[in-house]
Amino acid sequence: MTETASSARRFPQVATVSPGMVPIPRGLRWPHLIAIALTVSGFSVPWNLHAQTPKPTEYEVEAAYLSNFGRFVEWPAKASSGTDPFYVCVLGQDPFGPLLDAALKGESIGAAPMAVKRIAGPEDAAGCRILFVSTSKDSQLNAVLTALRTSNILTVADMPGFTRRGGMIQFVLEGNRVRFEINLAAAQRAGLTLSSELLKVAVAIRRAP
Amino acid sequence: MLKVRNYSIRQKLTWMNMLVSGAALLLACTAFAAYELTDFRQTLVQALSIQAQIVGANSASALLFNDPESARTTLSALRAAPNIVAAGIYTPAGNAFATYSRDRGGVVSPRLEMPAGLLQAYQFSSDELVLVRAIEFQGKRIGTVGIRSDLRELTDRLLRYAGIVVAVLLVSLLAAFVFSTIFQKATARPIAQLAETARIVSREKKYSIRAPATPNADEIAELIDAFNEMLEQIQERDTALQAARDELELRVVRRTAQLEAVNRELESFTYSVAHDLRAPLRHIQGFADALIEDGADRLDGAARGYLNRIVESTRRMDQLISDLLGLAHVGRQELRIQPVSLSALVQDVIRDMTHDTEGRNIEWRIGGLPVVEGDPGLIKQVFYNLLSNAVKYTRPRDPAVVEAGQMAVGGERILFIRDNGVGFNMKYAHKLFGVFERLHRREDFEGTGVGLATVQRIVHKHGGRIWAEAEIDRGATFYFTLPDPGQTQGKL
Repeated sequence: MTETASSARRFPQVATVSPGMVPIPRGLRWPHLIAIALTVSGFSVPWNLHAQTPKPTEYEVEAAYLSNFGRFVEWPAKASSGTDPFYVCVLGQDPFGPLLDAALKGESIGAAPMAVKRIAGPEDAAGCRILFVSTSKDSQLNAVLTALRTSNILTVADMPGFTRRGGMIQFVLEGNRVRFEINLAAAQRAGLTLSSELLKVAVAIRRAP
Repeated sequence: MLKVRNYSIRQKLTWMNMLVSGAALLLACTAFAAYELTDFRQTLVQALSIQAQIVGANSASALLFNDPESARTTLSALRAAPNIVAAGIYTPAGNAFATYSRDRGGVVSPRLEMPAGLLQAYQFSSDELVLVRAIEFQGKRIGTVGIRSDLRELTDRLLRYAGIVVAVLLVSLLAAFVFSTIFQKATARPIAQLAETARIVSREKKYSIRAPATPNADEIAELIDAFNEMLEQIQERDTALQAARDELELRVVRRTAQLEAVNRELESFTYSVAHDLRAPLRHIQGFADALIEDGADRLDGAARGYLNRIVESTRRMDQLISDLLGLAHVGRQELRIQPVSLSALVQDVIRDMTHDTEGRNIEWRIGGLPVVEGDPGLIKQVFYNLLSNAVKYTRPRDPAVVEAGQMAVGGERILFIRDNGVGFNMKYAHKLFGVFERLHRREDFEGTGVGLATVQRIVHKHGGRIWAEAEIDRGATFYFTLPDPGQTQGKL
């Protein structure tokens, strides 16, 4: 990551100004409102991928998405426990390398700080909120998914047919853009509520099991 | 600039009313409109802000998951607001993520930069309101929304307010005008009528007119009453004046008649007396002379002495009668006015007096004398009397100096005759010109006491003045004035 990225962990103080009461200083014109963009280095937060230059790689994007999925999903009350870490687990061969750790660094969902956990099998998935199933587990997918069926864990993968086989979110490439499909039924079965905002940006939604 | 001060009172009042109500209304309406418009601007800003917030909230996932279409769809909902010209969702780097434009091919800024510390900012330009707001999602800034709105609503409102203001103004001006007209009956009309009355009175001098009263009880009514009272007083005064004048006329006529009668009486009295006195006097003189001639040898010295005294007295009396006659004559005579050269006249007089000045050492100092206007005979008599007086009363002097001349005092021409004779006591100056008045003893200087009275009468008849100054033993000066040529114009 660049220097700007590391210093970017400090988010700028956002003034809570009531709407409408903040005038732009004289002399500013549309389209060039004040250019202090570089101080706006807070924007180069990794989880907001648009601040990044150069163009992010596929797994960078997926890591960013993973860090954001949690914001659009509601877990049942019993699953959440205040300040316990919000784990994003990777099952199987980790394709992210340091990318996922970088994406989750300093992030939190609500009060729960995000962290990466790498697990070998679904039995270690306790405490995971989101589970990324590596392609290496393709052959055992059914078993994995069955084991996790009622475990309130959001399953994500980028292997083809993931959602068809019961996975909840499957990354797909559209052109050179990373999109995703959603299996709503699977999520609902796991007790998860997906925000319509998330469904809005999904490329496809399976509603039937 | 219209000469407002030349307007009638009625017009002034009307204008004043209209101006006052117009100004007050205009101020009020403008204040209200201004406030309303300012308020409305804030309302616009608030509306845009809310729209930006809604758009922002609904575009969070689109931004986070790189779905411009979703963002575009969200933006396109802004089509419901016809005032929104364009809008855009921008990445934190300021690049356009999704845009919306009301008109096909409308321009939306491709890049947007917003100051770090602000959540929202807006700016009014001449025809647009631009608002930008940061999109915050779960405490983090993930992008910016920018919306451009036209000010059509504002302009519409402005025009509507202007229309209402104009309408209200027109109506109220009309009302002010109408009310003015109604009220001018109580205010301007009485004044106008008063002015008209005053004008008529002044022009035609008819003081019998009165200004019409008004039913009001204000200062105007007081003015009208006072005016009428003044006219009343003027009328009374005029009548009194006329009566007094008439009476005076009457008195003057009567007095003149009286005076004329008295004058005539007096003059004829003097004349007849003098004449009647003369006759016996001639007798006395004649017989006295006869006595002297025929009976001189029969009379003794004393008797002759007595006879001489009688003759002397009769001569004196004769002289007196002549002088009196002369005096009366002066009074009765009509003046023959003509220019008279005094220098020539004085020389004549001196020549006439040669007999009396024989053997005397008299120094005549005759200065420049003017031409005057008057009766030559009478004026000659004046100089004769005065000069012979001077000669007489300088008898003790050697040389006797007799001066005659003129001087200018205070713009007037004064003639004078001065001598270095015995003079007189100024204490008795007031008696100088009285008939039979003599300030010297008969033994010292002979005279009848009529000469100066005659001179005074003549001078007064010419409209002049005469007076004298003297010092005992130092001489006397007689001053008098006579009219310049052209002054009398036959008025004497």
